[in-house]
Amino acid sequence: MQVFKLCIKVINKNKYLLLVYVVIFLVISFTLSLTAVREMETSTSFKPAKTEIALINEENTPLINGFRAELAKVATFVDIPDETEALQDALYFRQVSCIIRIPQGFTEKFMNGENVQLGKISIPNSIRNVYIDLCIDKYFNTARLYVQNMNGITQQELVQYLKKDLYDTTSVEMIAKGEKTSVTNLNYFFNLFAYPMLSIIILGMSTLMLIFNDKDLKMRNSCSPISSTNISMQFVLGNLTFTFVSWLIMVLSCLLLNFKSIFDFNTVFLVISSFVFAFCCSGISFLIGNLVKSKDAITAVNNVVTLGMCFISGVFVPQEAIGSSVLKIASFMPTYWYVKANNTIAKLTRFTLDTVKPVLYDFLIIIAFGLAFFSVSLAIRKKYRSYT
Amino acid sequence: MVVKVKDLVKRYRDILALDHLSFSINEGEVFGLLGPNGSGKTTAINCILSLLKYDRGEIWIFGQPMRPDAYDIKRNIGIVMQNIAVYNELTAYQNIDYFCGLYVKDKNQRKKLVNEAIEFVGLGEFTKFYPRKLSGGLLRRLNIACGIAHKPKLIILDEPTVAVDPQSRNKILEGILELNKQGATIIYTSHYMDEVEQICSRILIIDKGREIATGTKDELKAMISLGEKITVESYSITEKQISAIKKLPGITSVDYKNNALIIKSGKGTNNLETVLDFIRKENIHFGRIYSEMPTLNDVFLEITGKELRD
Repeated sequence: MQVFKLCIKVINKNKYLLLVYVVIFLVISFTLSLTAVREMETSTSFKPAKTEIALINEENTPLINGFRAELAKVATFVDIPDETEALQDALYFRQVSCIIRIPQGFTEKFMNGENVQLGKISIPNSIRNVYIDLCIDKYFNTARLYVQNMNGITQQELVQYLKKDLYDTTSVEMIAKGEKTSVTNLNYFFNLFAYPMLSIIILGMSTLMLIFNDKDLKMRNSCSPISSTNISMQFVLGNLTFTFVSWLIMVLSCLLLNFKSIFDFNTVFLVISSFVFAFCCSGISFLIGNLVKSKDAITAVNNVVTLGMCFISGVFVPQEAIGSSVLKIASFMPTYWYVKANNTIAKLTRFTLDTVKPVLYDFLIIIAFGLAFFSVSLAIRKKYRSYT
Repeated sequence: MVVKVKDLVKRYRDILALDHLSFSINEGEVFGLLGPNGSGKTTAINCILSLLKYDRGEIWIFGQPMRPDAYDIKRNIGIVMQNIAVYNELTAYQNIDYFCGLYVKDKNQRKKLVNEAIEFVGLGEFTKFYPRKLSGGLLRRLNIACGIAHKPKLIILDEPTVAVDPQSRNKILEGILELNKQGATIIYTSHYMDEVEQICSRILIIDKGREIATGTKDELKAMISLGEKITVESYSITEKQISAIKKLPGITSVDYKNNALIIKSGKGTNNLETVLDFIRKENIHFGRIYSEMPTLNDVFLEITGKELRD
């Protein structure tokens, strides 16, 4: 295992250089992923907001006071003088989104079961008024039910009933849960993980390849009583060890920073996905290392390959935001299937063979990519072997 | 017989690198492969080591045909490449240990062999140095240590003294003779004829992939008509005097250029006295006058019509 040991020694010699890459990439990745997730949280999470309204009350009765108290849960009252011009200005300048007028005699007619109407003027097509409409309908429809079915009910009793009824809520348990924030966070991180992983493995492995592809050293090794296949296999093993260690360091750092969701099934699948992708990365790196002959060229190729693949495959930008023609091209790259698998995993709430099948299918495609890269690399190595 | 090469032909497209080359090397010999740059020495070595495919011919080493997968043969060969082949990421010790480890599995035995190799090439103080920190001469010595650490029976050294200072060069040449004394058969390629003359027991001179001559240095020198070369440094020799020298007994050729008169004579005659008598008689003023015995370069020159370093 001389060649394998040599690989380890060479990696060990370059460990600080590679660690610098790991640290820089991880810091950038964490910063980007945390920022993006924070933005995602604010844009997708729900927090009820109150709407500014004007309530012009022409009578003071317990029913209307109860209504005002109910409305206060979803609206903030703005005091505006009861003048046509002032009210119109308030609507025009969006001081309020609607004006509700309770006309004189409204309560009496309502308690007698007559058909009455509230006056309401609102900004056209305003979504914010939906809540107000719902609140008005809920309050007066429930009140009408009591008035129609309980003869002689007083306003105080009615308000008491309404308070109790409208306070009651029904708890709903979601069997099919939505995306969990922690999983979304990890999903984003693991998507972004493709970039540093690819870069580090290409840089690390290509450094090894440059050393091992040196013509004189290759010839010198060929003079030894070890077959070229054996040397190649030891070398591949060395490269895979490097890939595994790099993957392990990055995944552990990622899990430590997202330790809350370590035991989720989603996380386990995301880790497997990254492992499969790491294998594919080593195939890509092996190919690049065989084709490129200088350190400077490796840096250039690394930037072109990693940034190119990551940009069009949805590593930095969600796949939903990328055009279908670009995604079609991206589907010829393993990064596309890696991101697709991660996105599918993040949405999974139940883990059965049927739900996991699309993910496994994506994994198989990534593995196939990796094997193809390795096969092409080995073919190239065989072709250019020194015995020509 | 340690090595036998028969009718070896190697082409690089239209260029004939080896042209029906044949030779054999006996056990315990220091066999020199001498020829100018591009004569086919390294190609021949690479073919012997199965690093190159050849178009025709046969190669036997230790009585067995040599093939790329002849690992039992390779186990007993040590190679010191023309270009330095060491890992810059490993220290001198680690490099020797790595290459020795390709041949010797046992850790303890390897440690002993590595230490012996370090001592042999005199790198004791530099074991922890990385190759980039070593001078050209030390680097060559490290290259040699990597090739011989496993104590092979056959050692091939392909121009091991290129770009080396005289001190390191002498150390390397002494080392090669020492390895030979310890029982190793040596193949030594070089275009430095003085080195080959100094250490080789038998020499093969090649040019354009063809064998020019083979034999000991005395046998090679005996092949040519030149017996002695007399050089007279003078700036006042006339054409008439040159013509007169040409007519002196035993003189085969006279050439006058750059104020140096080069007089070549045949074997078995003492011409220096005759030339000195003529110079005195003609009252020719001269700076230095000296006589040289024929060199391998003269052998090469007489056979091919060109100098070894052309």
